Amino acid sequence: MSAVAIITPIVISSWPAISSALVSAAVSMGFTVANETVHAGQNRDLRQGPLTVTLDVPNSSAVTGGLGRGQSLRVSRDGVTAEFRRDARGHDSICVTGQGFSEETLRALGEELSGRTVQHYVLAKLKSEMAGHGMDLVEESVDENNAVRLRVRHWQN
Amino acid sequence: MKAREYEITIGPTGEVEIHVDGFQGRGCLEAIRFFEQVVGETKDLRHTSGFYEPGEDVRIHGEQRH
Repeated sequence: MSAVAIITPIVISSWPAISSALVSAAVSMGFTVANETVHAGQNRDLRQGPLTVTLDVPNSSAVTGGLGRGQSLRVSRDGVTAEFRRDARGHDSICVTGQGFSEETLRALGEELSGRTVQHYVLAKLKSEMAGHGMDLVEESVDENNAVRLRVRHWQN
Repeated sequence: MKAREYEITIGPTGEVEIHVDGFQGRGCLEAIRFFEQVVGETKDLRHTSGFYEPGEDVRIHGEQRH
């Protein structure tokens, strides 16, 4: 028999795991990594000057403990800069800014980057857990809608 | 040995669609539970042919945390 399940991801991650997913997602979208910093307060650079849009990363939070809190990672592409931040409470957000871009454009870019970060986080976690449970990844591809397709085989007694 | 096949699609927002195949009865639910523990919360679940056939014992060992 077969079944189909739709699962909404919940991201409870360490900073290395989520920052790695962000870098992977950003690079796949043509961004380059600008820098990674530990911030003590507001990010003044991105909140002054050009239009800025800030978005929450849905269904995400930090793992228990302070590791990674107060960290940020900045990526840029064609005059747009996006900063992924984990605040002191472990809350994740993306701040997108760019001179000459509309709010809709910046919001759309931020939402795409946020979604793709979650996608890459889920992909890495699935691969790790499946390998640990003896499941073989026999095929991996990316379709025209940027969805990642995996075919997995699991032999059992 | 039986081969189970899973087709997994991770959408650009991170939502995951999983097709499980090769099970009898409710054995597929155990497989789906594994992916649920790894990824998050099941939003929708649809069974196809064979769900009400006699079941089999399927265990995917391990405890996952999100």
